[in-house]
Amino acid sequence: MSEPQGSEGTTQRLPVMEKTPGGEVDYGPPPPPAGEDGREGRFWSARRVPAGIVALLLLAVAGLFLYDIASVRADRPAMSWRRELARQLAERPLDDTWVLVGAGVVAVLGLWLIVLAATPGLRAVLTMRRTDADVRAGLYREAAALVLRDRAMEVSGVQSVRVRMRRTRADVAAVSHFRELDDVRADLDSTLAEAITGLGLARPPALSVHVRRPGRKG
Amino acid sequence: MSAVLRTVNRVLIGLVGLVLLLLGGSVLAVGLGLKPPSWWIHDGRHDVLLSHAERTRWRGDGWWWPTVIAVLAVLVLLALWWLTAVLRRRRLAEVLVDTGDGEGALLRGRALEGVLAGEAGELDGVAQAHAHLTGSRTAPESRVQLLLEPHVDPGAALHHLTTRALLHARNSAGLAALPAEVRLKGAKHRAERVS
Repeated sequence: MSEPQGSEGTTQRLPVMEKTPGGEVDYGPPPPPAGEDGREGRFWSARRVPAGIVALLLLAVAGLFLYDIASVRADRPAMSWRRELARQLAERPLDDTWVLVGAGVVAVLGLWLIVLAATPGLRAVLTMRRTDADVRAGLYREAAALVLRDRAMEVSGVQSVRVRMRRTRADVAAVSHFRELDDVRADLDSTLAEAITGLGLARPPALSVHVRRPGRKG
Repeated sequence: MSAVLRTVNRVLIGLVGLVLLLLGGSVLAVGLGLKPPSWWIHDGRHDVLLSHAERTRWRGDGWWWPTVIAVLAVLVLLALWWLTAVLRRRRLAEVLVDTGDGEGALLRGRALEGVLAGEAGELDGVAQAHAHLTGSRTAPESRVQLLLEPHVDPGAALHHLTTRALLHARNSAGLAALPAEVRLKGAKHRAERVS
């Protein structure tokens, strides 16, 4: 094994390129989306931020107790907060209002953490169909909405479009200033159906199209 | 690594949540008048949270303080390790290239990232691309972010990325596989009327 080298050293390793003929065989497989299995899992968030906060709090609380208990073992007086805490714990009955409020907050916090741990999160990312076994892709909902809006704007007769992209449905509200509404709607339906296929999502959203005249009721 | 960290994060968050829920829930239930079982630490709504007797029950025993201190120390170490694992941004420094003659070459991770991002950025309809390598140097993984221009279909852009940029990167580094996680975003722009 050689030393870590700069990019010069690595580009010298031209023989590596000779492996590409071998890899050339791999060039064929990836076919355009065939969609044999639509079942593609969601993206699961790593939950970095909650994990960081919980770890920090855990560290602070455990560290504080450890420090104080160790210092008491070394014949120093306990910090005042610990004596106060012990006194409060020993005096407050369970049906004290503050105890109940505190317990409620703690329980809700615990429930929320459990929900965070058990749900995928990343609701803004829509899973795309897998075209290659090694590539997992996700499309942001906003981007999908932008694409649908742009395609809808290309339909003649459409003055403005609002797209609301949900996880399973795309709501398209268009305003049309000329042509028959039914024609515009039919055009929109076919254009958008094509655009949704073009998004390459694992679960194509259902489409709902509303067209109306500007400034007047539909 | 990232998949492991994700699991660890979720398991630990879930555990902490479970402890909090049990603590808060039990105090709430007993405090609101539910009859606790006889072995429970609280025996009614007028009991205190933690009485002096309960707190000092094992204080005289020789094992008590060492145990408390040991448990706290383990908790502190665990929290410290967890925190560093969460905060550390893993970036692959180098990739081991198998030259096929029993030797190997080291390719700087940044170089491969740059090439991958550059090639992805030149694809049709891609306004900007970022690439980030993770994993180990014998089995690198990539994370790619694309910013899409309005005219391209995301499905087509992904196909181009897979069959060109990713495949080139994989072949040029002589890797058997280069698993990738791709996120596609849209470049914000105003709607343009074409009629």
